Amino acid sequence: MRFSEALGHKVVSLASAETVGILAELVVDPQSRRVVALGINKSPSGTALRWDDIESFGPDAVTVSDADKIAGPDRDVDRLSGKDHHFLGKRVLLTVGDELGEVEDVEFNADTGGLVAIMLKSGDVEAHRLVGVGSYAVVVD
Amino acid sequence: MRTSEIEKRPVVTMAGEDVAQIKDVVYSSGGGAVGGFTLAGRGLFAGPLKQGLAWASVYALGADAVMISDPDVLEPTQSVLDASASAGGSGGNVLGARVLTDEGTDLGSVVDVILEVAEGRGEQCDVVGYEVEASESLGTHGTKVLLPLPDTLAVSGEHLIVPASAKDFVGHDLAGFGAAVVAFRAQLEGTGR
Repeated sequence: MRFSEALGHKVVSLASAETVGILAELVVDPQSRRVVALGINKSPSGTALRWDDIESFGPDAVTVSDADKIAGPDRDVDRLSGKDHHFLGKRVLLTVGDELGEVEDVEFNADTGGLVAIMLKSGDVEAHRLVGVGSYAVVVD
Repeated sequence: MRTSEIEKRPVVTMAGEDVAQIKDVVYSSGGGAVGGFTLAGRGLFAGPLKQGLAWASVYALGADAVMISDPDVLEPTQSVLDASASAGGSGGNVLGARVLTDEGTDLGSVVDVILEVAEGRGEQCDVVGYEVEASESLGTHGTKVLLPLPDTLAVSGEHLIVPASAKDFVGHDLAGFGAAVVAFRAQLEGTGR
């Protein structure tokens, strides 16, 4: 699934069958190259949902066992959250210091959260080449 | 690449943060290599930084950014300047200096410095030539030409001394300039200078 498709997904509690939040952010750990948490809007219990607390990441909704899985964010998630760590629209730099272009989208595996590819106009960059994401650029090898 | 193109280039960590931008190039080894850079802050109103970047700490000098592993590799500007000075660098600016051959002909004045980074990490960043606004003796008065340099040369704020044969290897664009530098240096070695 792509980041652009995933954003805006509703988060539904399996216990109450209610929508308990809206997916607003995919929080990526560049070291493990995985989505480690989701940033959630419109939830009374918190703003972060850890990937391991998700029941399913489906094509139309994210399901959780209960609304209280949305909490925090804790420090680890907070450290990787925010605009500085976003991918979409950011410039991509090679570690040799040459610019490749801008991130158009990111492909990830909805079962594992693992990143698959960073998508640019000029072509895809495989996720294992990811080195870091900062306020200035996405750095790839 | 031209030194003027490096100035203002962002210094970016592997974590994707732009921690500074290049202000000036600091030369070492008699002006024959890059010793490091002085830095300025990023943003419209940012001034010079107290921290500099030694060439040894540069991960890569690319077309769009100077890459470093992390912000910890920055060091006080003064220590970058001192290290380059002790390696025989003028530390100073060669722009505007007159280029004089060892036979006493004035070739013109320096308007830019041409750098080349050898392939592979840890290689030094060589000064391979100067862009010179030519005097009459080059036969192209007033135009800018690229003048290859020997590995080492004598330089002061006033003059650069180059071998007289350098003027036979002038180039007009960067594309073929690398080959001209190689040919020129091979010719110098061949004459047992």
